Amino acid sequence: MSASKKASKSVMKTLPKKFMWTGTRAIAEAVKLADVDVIAAYPIRPYTGVMNSLAKMLADGEFTAEIIGADSEHSQFEIAKHASAVGARTFVGSSGVGLAYASEPIIVTALGQLPVVAMAGCRSLDDPGNFGMEWNDVLGFRDHGWLMAWAKDAQEALDMTLVAYKVSENQKVLLPSFVAVDGAAITHISVAVEPPTKDGVARFLPPYKPIHPLDPIYGPVTKAQHIAPSLIGPELRRVIDQAMKNASGVIEEAWETYADIIGREYPAFLEQDHTGDAEIVLVTMGAYAKDAMYAAAKLREQGIKVGVVRIRYFRPFPKKELSKAVAKAKAVGVLDFSYSFGSADDSSVLFNEVRSALYDSVSKPLLMDFMFVGGREPAIEHFERSVKLLKKSIEKGKTEKLVWWPTLRGEDA
Amino acid sequence: MTEPLIAKTVRDVPSIDLYTSGHRTCAGCGAALGYRLLLKAAGLNTVILGPTGCMYVANGHQFLSSPYSVPWYHTQLGAGGAAGVGTAAAFRILMMKGKRQKEDVNVIVYGGDGGTGDMGLSGLSMAMGYDYKRFLYVLYDNESYANTGIQASSMTPWGASTTFTPAGRVKKVGNARMKKNVALIIAAHPGVRYVATATLHPPLDFFNKAKKALEANGPSFIHLLVPCPKGWFTDPKYTLDLSRKALETGLWVSWEYENGEFELSYVPKPRKHVKEYLRMQKRFQHLTEDKIEEIERATAKEWGYWKEMNERKKIILPWAAPP
Repeated sequence: MSASKKASKSVMKTLPKKFMWTGTRAIAEAVKLADVDVIAAYPIRPYTGVMNSLAKMLADGEFTAEIIGADSEHSQFEIAKHASAVGARTFVGSSGVGLAYASEPIIVTALGQLPVVAMAGCRSLDDPGNFGMEWNDVLGFRDHGWLMAWAKDAQEALDMTLVAYKVSENQKVLLPSFVAVDGAAITHISVAVEPPTKDGVARFLPPYKPIHPLDPIYGPVTKAQHIAPSLIGPELRRVIDQAMKNASGVIEEAWETYADIIGREYPAFLEQDHTGDAEIVLVTMGAYAKDAMYAAAKLREQGIKVGVVRIRYFRPFPKKELSKAVAKAKAVGVLDFSYSFGSADDSSVLFNEVRSALYDSVSKPLLMDFMFVGGREPAIEHFERSVKLLKKSIEKGKTEKLVWWPTLRGEDA
Repeated sequence: MTEPLIAKTVRDVPSIDLYTSGHRTCAGCGAALGYRLLLKAAGLNTVILGPTGCMYVANGHQFLSSPYSVPWYHTQLGAGGAAGVGTAAAFRILMMKGKRQKEDVNVIVYGGDGGTGDMGLSGLSMAMGYDYKRFLYVLYDNESYANTGIQASSMTPWGASTTFTPAGRVKKVGNARMKKNVALIIAAHPGVRYVATATLHPPLDFFNKAKKALEANGPSFIHLLVPCPKGWFTDPKYTLDLSRKALETGLWVSWEYENGEFELSYVPKPRKHVKEYLRMQKRFQHLTEDKIEEIERATAKEWGYWKEMNERKKIILPWAAPP
């Protein structure tokens, strides 16, 4: 070996180790690092890769866990729920109609205050069978007490999974978490990922200690029995409400601790890109935020003051942070991969959430909704055009057309 | 493996009850009696999962009392199998990793005919494919969706009048579907270590079968027929008599299947006419004598197969033309 090769090799050794991993593989690594006890699997694209990876890791003895191939997503989420009730750390996941099929256990997992962590590989709902990316599969559960984190890439998906356990298992929260990753764009694209060390994760995430495990050692707990609604119905709902309220602070703390121990920093709720002086702000979540930032950078070169806000948690929804981030903006455009047929202005889920969050804001920016639905992938031009439409609204002082379907053939194209 | 402790007389049954007061089941409820016997057999080191059904709705109470002296968790109507697997998997891995002390913990699902034979069949089938020890699924079969108001399930017998299959002027028979035999379906799972059927009579029979099931070193299944005064329109005092008559008329067949061998637990000698059982119940009162005779003929034909199975110690599918 030549001296220079030797030198470069010793330099490489000092650098943190990176791997080319897809989003599903990166999340599998997080599950391994978290020393998860019970994994429940059922195949559906595009999330399945995570279970393929985990099954191989377990087959090769990289870590120890029970992995169960279920007969359906319904059983899959029930398995995770009940394993969690005993006190096991659990992992589960699904996509599209798989999540819809599991809706009953998904809902009761939150009401049972069980810190299950689920990966959601976002996918269009049937019909027709569609591998395209939409958020409606996960957002169908927005009202049911799950924390919902949206990653932008494989690295963040790994980090978010570890933080999801930390937040969900916090005794002030005890709610399950979805780590949502956009189908294909994250699940199937390999990028350089730097996993944290095993020691670091062990310090960040100690083993799960349940308060009232379903285990005879701890005595006879009767859990989720049939109740008289008049007796404690509203009180039970308030428990979840309070847990969700507590989650905001716990999430913030968890990301600070993560930065301290693991050394990678993230803003807890919003990633902001050039929002400081922006007249126009694009608000979105997930992988396409990167494309939006690229489009915004190009437009800033042309003198358009445009920034991007990437929402990292849909639940709890960061109302305060969002209002602050767009306080100086004259127009806000939501780049949305969801729909809500028949909703106010026939718009979409994220848009309605953003509009509701900004209703109390003093600045009251103009709002527009850009719906990238049906799974057809948007291009940079679509985002650029969205900015130009927002600019036109500012010039006119009003929004003449609120909702746009930029990728639809025809009127909005 | 230690030999299961089989009770020879009632004196061998623990006097302590782990299914106690605090429920509001109907007077004469067969499923509640089954629960009591089951928990006597299982003991304190047990977790019970209760899918939605009578034993969820009637065992919960307006005043938040609980009849269970062991940990109990509700699971969704179709989720009994999955709940059992998730629970058993958690115990096994936590013990393996040293996160919990090692000992035998029974994981038992007590699910009704609707939740098990209809909605939960797929999950039950999945659960019977895994190798969790001390995992027992008990199907308590009161032959209808009883707590929602007696709607027919796939395990309601032919000829029963239910709110979804009422006997009327045109549809005279009531339920026109034949009762599904879930225990035979479960016996078709190669991983299952013990399959049995039972009813509340004789009382030691179910107690001992539950004991054997828990010691079977793998997943096990018991199909328990439980008379239901509300759904069968019978006097509460006849619950145990109905269990006995079901056996004596051959309309309920009590058997065990273990290590590939089939054995009848009870052979009626001679078998009594089915009307002795059917005429006790108002759900069959609309059936004419002809129809009762058709049921008698079908039962006689089926029993030919049951006896053949008993002789050959092998399962064959019993069949008789629908009435």
